[in-house]
Amino acid sequence: MSYFIGIPLLTLLAIFQSVLMSHIELLDGRADLVLLAVVSWSLTRRSEEAMVWAVIGGFALDLLSGLPLGSNALILLIVAFLVSFLEGRFWEAHLLMPLGVMLVASLAYHFLCTFEIMILGYDVSLAVVFRRIILPSTFLNVVIALPASQLASALHSRLFPQEVEL
Amino acid sequence: MNRSNSRLLVAGTLALITIGIMVLSIGGFITPVHDMLLRPISSVQEWIALRVSAIHDTLTAPRDVASLQAEIARLQSEVARLEQEIIVLREQATEAEILASLLNYARSQPENRSIAANVIGRDTSPFIRSIWLDRGSDSNLSKGMPVVTERGLVGRIAEVFPTASRVQLITDPESAVNVTLQLARTDGVLVAEFNGELSVDMIDQNAEVTVGELVLTSGLGNFPADIPVGQIINIRRRDYELFQEASVQASVDFEALNIVLVITNFQPIPVELTSP
Repeated sequence: MSYFIGIPLLTLLAIFQSVLMSHIELLDGRADLVLLAVVSWSLTRRSEEAMVWAVIGGFALDLLSGLPLGSNALILLIVAFLVSFLEGRFWEAHLLMPLGVMLVASLAYHFLCTFEIMILGYDVSLAVVFRRIILPSTFLNVVIALPASQLASALHSRLFPQEVEL
Repeated sequence: MNRSNSRLLVAGTLALITIGIMVLSIGGFITPVHDMLLRPISSVQEWIALRVSAIHDTLTAPRDVASLQAEIARLQSEVARLEQEIIVLREQATEAEILASLLNYARSQPENRSIAANVIGRDTSPFIRSIWLDRGSDSNLSKGMPVVTERGLVGRIAEVFPTASRVQLITDPESAVNVTLQLARTDGVLVAEFNGELSVDMIDQNAEVTVGELVLTSGLGNFPADIPVGQIINIRRRDYELFQEASVQASVDFEALNIVLVITNFQPIPVELTSP
C-alpha cells in the first residue's frame, strides 16, 4: 500500500526539490525533501519499505539531476539501511530522536554525495563544500525533521491503523 | 529468517538493482526509458514551476503587495478576482518584458538563430549548477547549444530529452569558457569555484588588466564570440607565476533566470593545441 503512495509522493518531492528548494537556500544548502521522507518513514518502524522509498526517491532525484542515474538512489539506500539499525532500540521512542537521526543521516548523505562527486572527477574543496553545502543543508534538514516525522507517523497511522483486540 | 537478515537481503537486492541501472545508464543503454520517464515529470515540473514563479514574484515584491492590498481595501467586492488577475498580469508583464529584451538581443545578433525557453527547475543536487528548460529535442535543441539572456552568457545544453533539456551553467565547477578581456585584448579561461564564484585564469602576465573591464566570450570552443560574461572585480598578479588571475562578477543573475535564449545555429570552433 505504501508503495502506491510512495511513488507519486517521492516523485512530487523530487520535483519540488528542483522547482521550489532552489528558492529557499541557506548559502548553497537546501533542505533535502526526499531524504527527509525516507528517514521519517524509516522511523515509523517500516525500514524495509523506507529502503524501497530511498531507491524510488533517489531515481526521481537522479532524473532531474546531472548526476548519473542511480547515484542518489544508491546513497539514499545506504542512508536508509544505516537508519534501519535504530529500529527497536530503547531510545527509539524519544521525542527528540528524529533530530539526532536526521543530523547523522544528513551528514552521511552529504558526505557520500561529496565522495561521489569527487569520484566523478569534480575538483572539490572539502572546506568550502562543508561550509556552504553540508552544514547549511544539515541545519535545514534538522529544522524540518520534527514536522516531517510527525507527518510520516500521521500517514503511517492512517495507512496502517493499530488493530484493537476486543 | 530473522529481521536483520531480511533487512540485509532487501538492501542487498535493491543495491544490486540500483548499481545495475547505474551501469546501464552510464553506458547509455536506458536513455529511451529516461526520456519516457522524464516526459510526464517535466510536464508536472513545468506546471508547478509556473505557479511557484508567480508566488515567488508576489512574495519578493513587497511594494507591489502593498499597492495590491490598498486596491483590495478600495474594491472589497472584487478582492479575489482582482488579486488573481493582478498576479497573472504581473507574471505576463514580467514575461513580456523579458521576452522584449530577449527579442532586442536576438535582433542585435542577426547571425544567430535562437529559440526562447522557460526555466522550469534547477538541478536537485546542490553540487551541480544546472537548470532545466521546458524545451528539448522536439523543439530541435541539441547537446552543446549555447544558452544566453539579453544580459550575457548562461551556459550550454548538457543533456537533451524530447520535452526538456538540462543546461550546464557557467558557474558549474566543471564548466570552462574561452574568454577575451575587452580592453586588455588578451585571452583567458573562465572557470568557476565550487561556490559559484567566477574567475578568469591563464591571463598573460604582460597584459594590462583593469578592474571593471568587460569579459566577453572569445569565440573559440563552445560559444559564439563577443557574448558578455561579466566584469573584472579583482586582479591577482604574482611575479613568480606564469599567468595572472582575475575574479569576475557575472553579468547574468543566475538566481533570477526565468526565460533564456538557446542559440540553435552555432557551430563550435575547435580549439587547436599548438605543438611545442
